[in-house]
Amino acid sequence: MELSRGNSLRIFVVLVAMVIAGRLFYLQIIDSKYKEYANNNALRPIVLNPPRGEIYDRNGLFLAQSREAYDLMVIPRDVKPFDTLEMCRIIGVEKEEFVHQLKRAGRSSRRPVVLFKLLDKEVKMKFEEHTFPGFFTQYRTIRSYPFHTGGNILGYVGEVNDNTIKNDSYYKRGDYVGMTGIERAYETVLRGRKGVRMELVDVHGMPKGAYADGLYDTLAVPGVSITSTIDARLQLLGEELMEGKVGSIVAIEPKTGEILMMVSSPTYNPDELIGRDRSRNYLKLLREPRRPLYNRAVMASYPPGSTFKLSTGLIGLQEGVLVPSQRYVCNSGYYVGRGVKCHYHDSPLDLRYSIQTSCNTYYCYVFRNILDNKAYGDVKVGFDVWRDYLLSMGFGRRLDSDFSGELKGNLPTTEFYDRVYNGRWNSLTAISLSIGQGEIGVTPLQLANFTATIANRGYYKIPHIIKSIEGGQIDSRFSVPNYTNIDPKHYQVIAEGMYRAVNVEGTAVRAAVKGLDICGKTGTAENGRGRDHSTFACFAPYKDPKIAMSVYVEHGGFGATVAMPIASLLMEQYLTDTITRPELVEYVKRMIIDYPQYDK
Amino acid sequence: MLSDSGNYVRREGAIFAGVDWWTVWIYLALVLFGIISIYASIYNEHSHSIFALSQKSGSQMMWAGISIVLGVVILLVDSKYYHYIAYQAYAATILLLLLTFVFGRTINGAHSWISFGPVSVQPVEFAKLTTALALGKYMGGYGFNIARMKSLSRVGLIVGLPALIVCAQNDTGSAMVFSSFLFMLCREGFTAWVYLVLGMIMFLSVSSFFVEPAALYVVIFLIVVAIETHYNGMMKQKVIYVASVIMAMLVIFFVGLVFGRFLSMMNAFMLALTATLPLVAVYAVRHKLRNVVVFVIFFIASLMFVTSVDYVFDNVLRPHQQHRILDLLGLENDVKGAGYNVNQSKIAIGSGGVLGKGFLQGTQTKFDFVPEQSTDFIFSTVGEEWGFVGSIAVLALFVALIFRVMRMGDRQRDTFGRVYCYGVAGVFFFHVLVNIGMTIGLIPVIGIPLPFFSYGGSSLVAFSMMLFIAIRLNCNAQYQNWQ
Repeated sequence: MELSRGNSLRIFVVLVAMVIAGRLFYLQIIDSKYKEYANNNALRPIVLNPPRGEIYDRNGLFLAQSREAYDLMVIPRDVKPFDTLEMCRIIGVEKEEFVHQLKRAGRSSRRPVVLFKLLDKEVKMKFEEHTFPGFFTQYRTIRSYPFHTGGNILGYVGEVNDNTIKNDSYYKRGDYVGMTGIERAYETVLRGRKGVRMELVDVHGMPKGAYADGLYDTLAVPGVSITSTIDARLQLLGEELMEGKVGSIVAIEPKTGEILMMVSSPTYNPDELIGRDRSRNYLKLLREPRRPLYNRAVMASYPPGSTFKLSTGLIGLQEGVLVPSQRYVCNSGYYVGRGVKCHYHDSPLDLRYSIQTSCNTYYCYVFRNILDNKAYGDVKVGFDVWRDYLLSMGFGRRLDSDFSGELKGNLPTTEFYDRVYNGRWNSLTAISLSIGQGEIGVTPLQLANFTATIANRGYYKIPHIIKSIEGGQIDSRFSVPNYTNIDPKHYQVIAEGMYRAVNVEGTAVRAAVKGLDICGKTGTAENGRGRDHSTFACFAPYKDPKIAMSVYVEHGGFGATVAMPIASLLMEQYLTDTITRPELVEYVKRMIIDYPQYDK
Repeated sequence: MLSDSGNYVRREGAIFAGVDWWTVWIYLALVLFGIISIYASIYNEHSHSIFALSQKSGSQMMWAGISIVLGVVILLVDSKYYHYIAYQAYAATILLLLLTFVFGRTINGAHSWISFGPVSVQPVEFAKLTTALALGKYMGGYGFNIARMKSLSRVGLIVGLPALIVCAQNDTGSAMVFSSFLFMLCREGFTAWVYLVLGMIMFLSVSSFFVEPAALYVVIFLIVVAIETHYNGMMKQKVIYVASVIMAMLVIFFVGLVFGRFLSMMNAFMLALTATLPLVAVYAVRHKLRNVVVFVIFFIASLMFVTSVDYVFDNVLRPHQQHRILDLLGLENDVKGAGYNVNQSKIAIGSGGVLGKGFLQGTQTKFDFVPEQSTDFIFSTVGEEWGFVGSIAVLALFVALIFRVMRMGDRQRDTFGRVYCYGVAGVFFFHVLVNIGMTIGLIPVIGIPLPFFSYGGSSLVAFSMMLFIAIRLNCNAQYQNWQ
C-alpha cells in the first residue's frame, strides 16, 4: 500500500494535532500543579488574627488581657513625598531607623509591607490625623497584663521562631505564640483560630475583590478565655513580701491540687516582653544576675532541709521500723560515723516532739532503721525501698503538672553512691539524706505538693494552674487523687506534729495565727554556696485544710526567721483576707539578704 | 452540502456558486472565537463593551468586517485574475518589505511595520500570500520540473527572498514561516530525502540532549536500517545483518576483556560496525543496490551531527537562545527570566481544567498574568476560560480548516491552484503548530500569530485573503468540473 503525498501530509497533520492534544490533556487534566500555581498567582490569603483568650484569676480578676495594637504598613509604590520628621515624631522612631526600614520595603512593590510593628492605639489615632499616602495601619491584638507581675507563671507571648513554624503548620512567620508559663501551656486554647479572606490580585499585586464571593473565607475564631487557679491578691502579696529576696513560694489548695500562688523571685513584668521593646527587655532580663527568667518554683532544685524529716518519719512508720511513741535519746547530735549535730532540746523524745523541735538525731535513727532493715539484708535494697516511697510522694520526678518547664529535682540512686564510693557505702554514708541534706534536691512545687499530701492525710492531686476553660474541660488527670505508698493512717501523726510545732511548743510557734490552726515545719538547708536556705512547709487549717504552702528563701538563714513569717502572713491573707500584723509585713519587707552568689 | 451540490451550483450560477460553505463557517467560527478571546484577555472591571472600537476587541471586530468585505470582493473576481497578477503582487510585497527599511517602524524589536496614516501594516503577512501565488504561477508554468536543480533553485529564490528580507528586519519568527512551503513541495513530489534529513535533524537535535551518545548511535543505526529496508525491501537480510552486528559486538567485547581492556558499549559498537562493513559491501554488490552508499553516508552524517550539536549549542547559539532551548526541554527552569511568558501561559492553560473557568472568569487572563496575551499568547485565554474542551475544539477547527484547504488543492485542475492551496494549508499548519506549541511549552517562543485569533489587523486581513482566494479558486474548480 503506497500512500499518496497528500494523504501522508494529512497523517502528519493529524499526528501533530494529537501531540498538541496530548500535551493539552496532560497540562489541563493530569497535572494539577498548574491550578495551584494559578492560585498562588491570583489569590492572596489575608489572614485575620483572632483576639487571644483572656486569663482570669480564680476570683475573676484579669491576669492577661488582649488589647488592640496596630502595625504600620506601607505600599511602597503609592508613597508620595511626605513629612518624614512628623511621621517619625508620631510613631516615635529615629529618622535614620525610619528611612532604613522604608528602604528595606523596596520601591516598586504594590504589596503591603510591615514597616513597624505593634504601635499603640494612641499612635494610630495621632497617625490618622495626618494623611500619609501609601501608609496605613493594620489591626492586631497584643497582650497586656494588668497586674504587671507574675511573668514566670503567666509567661509571655512572642513571635514564633523558625523551629515552631517547621513543626506546626498553623504558624506562619510573624505570628505570635505563647513562649512560657500559662501562655505556652494553654497556647492551643488561648490562640483561637485564624481566619482567612481570599482576595484576588492582579499581576501587580493590586487587590481585585473577593475570590468566589467569599465562599472559601473563614472567620477568625477568638481564643477561649481561661480561669487560672491563681489568687491574684495572694500572688501580689507573695511577690511583695519576696521583693529583694531570691526564692520561691508555691501554694496549693490540697483538696483540688489547684496552684493558688506561684512566686519565683525575682520576678518580672510580662508587659515588658510584649510590643516593640520586647527584644531589648528580654536581653536585659536575660543578663540580670539574679536570673528573673528562671522559674525557681518548678525548676530550682534545693536541698529540702528539715522539712524532709516528715517524709523520713512517714517511711519509718510505713516500714514498721518506727511507731509514733518510739523515743530516742538526743545528746545534741548523732555520733556514729561522721555524725550529725543537733541543737539543744528535751530528750528523750517521741515522733511528735521530734517534729516540733526538729531533732536531727531522731531521724538519723529512723533513717538507718529503714535502710538497714534486716528484712532486706542489704543497704542497697533498703535504699531502693526508701527511694520508691519518695518517688510515690512526688520527689525526684516531674509531677506532670500543666506547667511547662517543670524539672525533676534530684533524688540520688544506689548507682550514684556506688559510683562515688566505689560500691563501698552504707546507711551512714547517706545519713544526711534523713534530714534533707546532702545530694537531695527538691523543687518548691514538689515540697508544696508533699505538704498538700500531708494536709490531705495521704493523697495529692496533680498541681495545676488552670481552673476552667470556657466551654471546655481541663485534663482529667488533675481530678484523680494520687495515693502515696504510705498508708493514709500514718499521716495523722505527722500532721499532729506539725500542728504542735506551731501551736503548742516548737520551732514554728511564731507562725501561729489565732484561730487558723496553722501546721508547719521549718527547714534550714545547708548548701554549698553560702548562708543556709530558709524554708518553711505548712498547711492550714489543721482540720479540713484549705491551703498548703512551701516557702523558700535562698540564703535566708533559719527557716523560722524568714520563710516562716512570710508563710504565716500569706496563710492569714488567704484564709481571712486580712492582715492583722502590719508590723510583721514591715519586718519581712525590711529584711535585707545579701546575695554575693548572684551580685558581683 | 451546498458546495458539493453540483446541480445547485450550476443552476444558481451566482457569485456564491461553488463556495465551500464548510470552510466559510469554520472561518467565521474561528474569527468570532478570536474576538471573544481578545475581549477576555483585555477584560477588567473598567472594560467597555466588546464592541467599543477603542478596545482591541472592537478594533479586531472592525478588521473582521473589512476582511469579510474583502472576502466577498475576492469571490467576485475571476479566478484567472489571481494567476495573472501573481508576479506583480509578489513584486509589490517585496517592494513593500524593502520600503520598511526606509519608512518602517519598530514594534517589539521587529522593524517590520509600515504606517499609512493611522494604520500600521506588517507587509510580511501579505508576503506569505503573494509568495504562495508566485510559487503557484512559477510551478504551474511550462518547463517546471521539480526534479531539476534549476527549477528548484528558482523556487528557493521565490521563497528565500522575502524570508531573507524579513530576517534582516529582525523578525526571525515570520521568516521561519516561509519554510512552511516545504509542506506544499512535499505534495508536489519534492524528494523524500529532504524530509527524511529534516526529520532526522530535528529528532537528533532534541534527543542529543536526553539520550546517552552510545544509545543514540544504536537508535540511529536502527533507523537507517529501517529506512533502507523501506526502500529496498529484503527484510531477511537486514535481520541477519543486525544480528551479526550484535554478535560481533559481544565477541569484540569479550575479546577485549581477555586482553584486559574493558571496552565501552560505544567502542564495541563502532568496532562491530567496522568489522561487519564487508557484509554491507557484499549485500550492495550482490543486489546491485547503489543507494546503499547513500545510506552509509546518511548514517555517518547523522553520527557527526549528533557530535556537533553540543558544539553548536555551546559555541554558536547566544545565551538567551540557549536558555530558551534548555527551558523548553525542561532541563532548566527559569520562570523569572527566559521562561516567564511560557510559564505563565502554561499556568493559565493548565489551570483551565476540563471545562475551563468560564468566559471572563479566568483569573490569570483577567489579571494580566500572561504577557502578550491578546496577540501571540491568545491561546492561553482559550485554555483557561474554555478548558480542555474549548482548546480541543479550536484545535479541531484548525485541523478541519487545513484539511478543507488541502481538499481544495486536490480538486484543482491546474498546478497553480493546487500549489497555492497547499501553500496556504502549509502556512496555516505552521502557524497553528508553532503558536499553540509555544503556549503549551512544546516549541521555543517564536512570535508568530495564531491565524484568525491573534489581535492584529494585518494578520487577520492577510489570512482571510489567503483563505478566500483559495475558496474562489475552488469555486472555479467546481464550476469547471461541471462544464
